[in-house]
Amino acid sequence: MTPMSNGSLQFVFSCPLSSGMHARPASHLAEVANQFAAETTITNLRNGLTANAKSVLGVISADIRHGDRCALHVSGPDEHAAHAALRRFMDEALPRCDVPLAGVPDSDRRATPPRVLQAANVNCIFGTPVSHGIGQGKVVILRRMTLTQGSKTENAANPQHELDRIQEAVSAVRHRIGEKLKYSITPTGTAILQAGLAMAGDVSLVQKLNEQVLSGKSAAQAVVETGEFFIDLLGHSENEYIRQRSADIEEICLQLLEEVDGTRPETSAVALREPSVLVAETLAPQQLLNLDRRWLKALVLEHSGATSHTAILARSLGIPTLAGVRNARLALTPGHEVVVDANRGFVIPQMSPAVRNFYEREQKTLARRRESWDGRAHQSATTSDGKTIEVAANAASGEESSLAFANGADGIGLFRTEMIFLSRDEAPSEEEQFAIYSEAARLADEKPVIIRTFDVGGDKKIPYLNLPAEENPFLGYRGARVYAEHRDLLQSQLRAILRASAAGNLKIMAPMISSLEEFVQFKAEVALAKHHLLGMGIEFQSEVRVGMMIEVPSVAYILEELCVEVDFFSIGTNDLSQYFFAADRGNPKISSLFTVRHPSFLRFLEQMMDEIHQAGKWVGMCGEMAADHRNLPLLLGLGLDEISVPSAEVHEFKRAIAGLRTSDCIDLLDRALTCSTAAEIDELLAAEPFQTHTRSLLSDELVLLESTSQSKEEVIQEMMDALYISSRTDDRHLVEEALWAREAMSSTSLGYGFAIPHCKTDAVSSNSICVLRLQQPINWDSGTGEPVNMVVLLALRDSDVANTHMQVFSSLARKLINDDFRHHLLKFDTPRQVTNYLADQLGISLEDTSETHLSAEHPVQPRRS
Amino acid sequence: MKIVAVTACPTGIAHTYMAAARLEKIAKNFGHEIKVETQGAMGIENKLTEADIRQAQIAIFAVDIEVEGRDRFNGVKVIQVPLQEALKNPEGIFSKIQR
Repeated sequence: MTPMSNGSLQFVFSCPLSSGMHARPASHLAEVANQFAAETTITNLRNGLTANAKSVLGVISADIRHGDRCALHVSGPDEHAAHAALRRFMDEALPRCDVPLAGVPDSDRRATPPRVLQAANVNCIFGTPVSHGIGQGKVVILRRMTLTQGSKTENAANPQHELDRIQEAVSAVRHRIGEKLKYSITPTGTAILQAGLAMAGDVSLVQKLNEQVLSGKSAAQAVVETGEFFIDLLGHSENEYIRQRSADIEEICLQLLEEVDGTRPETSAVALREPSVLVAETLAPQQLLNLDRRWLKALVLEHSGATSHTAILARSLGIPTLAGVRNARLALTPGHEVVVDANRGFVIPQMSPAVRNFYEREQKTLARRRESWDGRAHQSATTSDGKTIEVAANAASGEESSLAFANGADGIGLFRTEMIFLSRDEAPSEEEQFAIYSEAARLADEKPVIIRTFDVGGDKKIPYLNLPAEENPFLGYRGARVYAEHRDLLQSQLRAILRASAAGNLKIMAPMISSLEEFVQFKAEVALAKHHLLGMGIEFQSEVRVGMMIEVPSVAYILEELCVEVDFFSIGTNDLSQYFFAADRGNPKISSLFTVRHPSFLRFLEQMMDEIHQAGKWVGMCGEMAADHRNLPLLLGLGLDEISVPSAEVHEFKRAIAGLRTSDCIDLLDRALTCSTAAEIDELLAAEPFQTHTRSLLSDELVLLESTSQSKEEVIQEMMDALYISSRTDDRHLVEEALWAREAMSSTSLGYGFAIPHCKTDAVSSNSICVLRLQQPINWDSGTGEPVNMVVLLALRDSDVANTHMQVFSSLARKLINDDFRHHLLKFDTPRQVTNYLADQLGISLEDTSETHLSAEHPVQPRRS
Repeated sequence: MKIVAVTACPTGIAHTYMAAARLEKIAKNFGHEIKVETQGAMGIENKLTEADIRQAQIAIFAVDIEVEGRDRFNGVKVIQVPLQEALKNPEGIFSKIQR
């Protein structure tokens, strides 16, 4: 703390956020600063820009980027308290303010349309997919709104009257956003509305509005000029993220203008009445929320920026979105039907029969891939040697639960409820909670849902609980520790959960338990809630299981006693590991101390697991250790009953588990437990050649006997679709291009009506033989005009060339010049006959296997490496 | 006639082996003795020995890429054809040899 000459206090910090001080961290900072009367001024020492820390807009405008050193001055009556609180915020909360903004990967690849579309001369306009999917509809263009349109711009006669109107408008807009906030169901939507709420009440904004009115402007004119001022200010930032915020401020100003002026220029004109593709330069999240989503089939934005809130929101709402589509508003004609392919990254501005056919087929392909994949995703996750582990998901809303179950989750391993309590002025009612938990139970359809009672304190603040500011909140008043003081809240939540348990398989879990007494007390609270419900004759599941999080290391030494009381455990590795290592995981200076793949932590887990399992209790794991694929073999080795992972990744975990052998995992864990350092464990994991699941070369799904394709492009597309449906490739484009690259070298037709296109690419996940028979022969090569009616496609993994599949391919190639062999292939009626014949002739199995057949007799080397 | 041959194509997955099988079959029809070395994705297989090459009256290269170890064939008469030729018209290659 540095005393200043004028009596104020200051400290210097450096911005730890990779995206800089953008709207969300800025609004958190302003929230803290606004709790104090003292003036708080932030100065960016890199560019000299100064702002009021109580103003979100001000802080954003100071253009504070990653690593910028900033000074924070505090002066006023409560300056010491303010200084301490702000300093704590900068040290503790700020580094965690930034939720990583997940972009859609691989936007670098230059998109080329599929060959079928190229052959039909289909014109495409390229962009970057920021939310995947395909949408079709009529173009609706959103013109950039100008605040001056339709608003009264005259000067005002009575400044006080205008000031009142401004104040009313600000409260009305805040009220409106607050109302929406109450019904917000997605965490993303909530965060965006909160940022809007903060911006609408921002001191800099309000100050500027007042200045304008006091200089004689009308309320409407003041809003217009204030809006223009901030849009200009933010729009000139060098930071892309801040430039994008100008759309947010524009939206807030439009809402203010609507209040003071009664009109809302142009935005209200965007009413969608049929399947539509909205085309805009840029779109504020609020605007997106205001659109009728029944009709909104896709978004095309000229502005690039995969990290904008609009992109995040579009992803969470499942709206296919392309960004960075240059001149989209000029290139696309209003009212024209277009296709937005946000999987491949282009818009097709003109429909044609070829486009229609292609996308009709594409929709079927996507549906069939989904179906075939759903079948496997919804089976339980079993290792190759037969051990089953539940793969559950973490969720905080009904929406997130549906995603989890659609991805094949075996349950919800951690249903966080604090989101329901956060970001509002008063506690949620029992009825409101009952609705949320019932929905979760209904969506789970008898699968287990572990509901964790509200876990606040630490970095999760709730205004109406009046939790005191603490020197060390993570070691303070948090989790189950606040329940004694807030029994009413706990009781209403427990009643809501119990009532919802009548509709499904709900379990109750207590957070932050560090002693037996705490858990016994928690159970007494559950018993009390049951007693109330019984008294009122309200139905609930009387046998509802009550468990606890393992987050505090002390419980490791009272497990014997706890196992008598506790029905189940879930290991919360985030807090457990930071308490175990006495290292804040948000602090980069000590991050090297913090790794869950550490011998000490693994031994700790193993001891607890042993004791819990000996007592016959169930134990799962939620938290980041479970969500990291690298840890999976160790977790299987530990013998967890369940892992709870991000909902979008459930199927990936199930697939990975199927490729592992429990005995290998146990062996690996045993060796990891004897390591002395984290580095040794990482080495061990890196060296471990885990068996991967290998699928048969042949499958009935890959035999297409009645093809009506009419060109080589269509044939190859059809075969790509078959590989895609059976999950043998995730990227048809790469496989297709590899095939065509081979075709460009020399023809793969071999006479007798046969063609044998082939490629080596790791874009296929397993080596595959695909067979297609045409109803009508086609010209395979434009030059020779040789008709082809039988196509045998070989797709080989580039990195697998040293395995015996290559010998199968070469023996297939040799057989194809044999008349008998070809005649057989031509006469079969069913895919099964074809696969059986090929399997027999080539000596391969039709069974998928977890063994890798490395041939000892043929120590082969790739010819060119 | 004793013949040695090499087949090789760019990806080395299919045509290398088809051409080899084709040459072996047609050579038999023509009454020749042939040994075909394949240079494909599995590396060199059925490798021609020094003795094989020394005893051969002619070498056929049915290749779309450079033959590996070409200097082994110094002093032997070599006919080089595109790989497609061995697939589509192997008879033509042997007729040419006989002339």
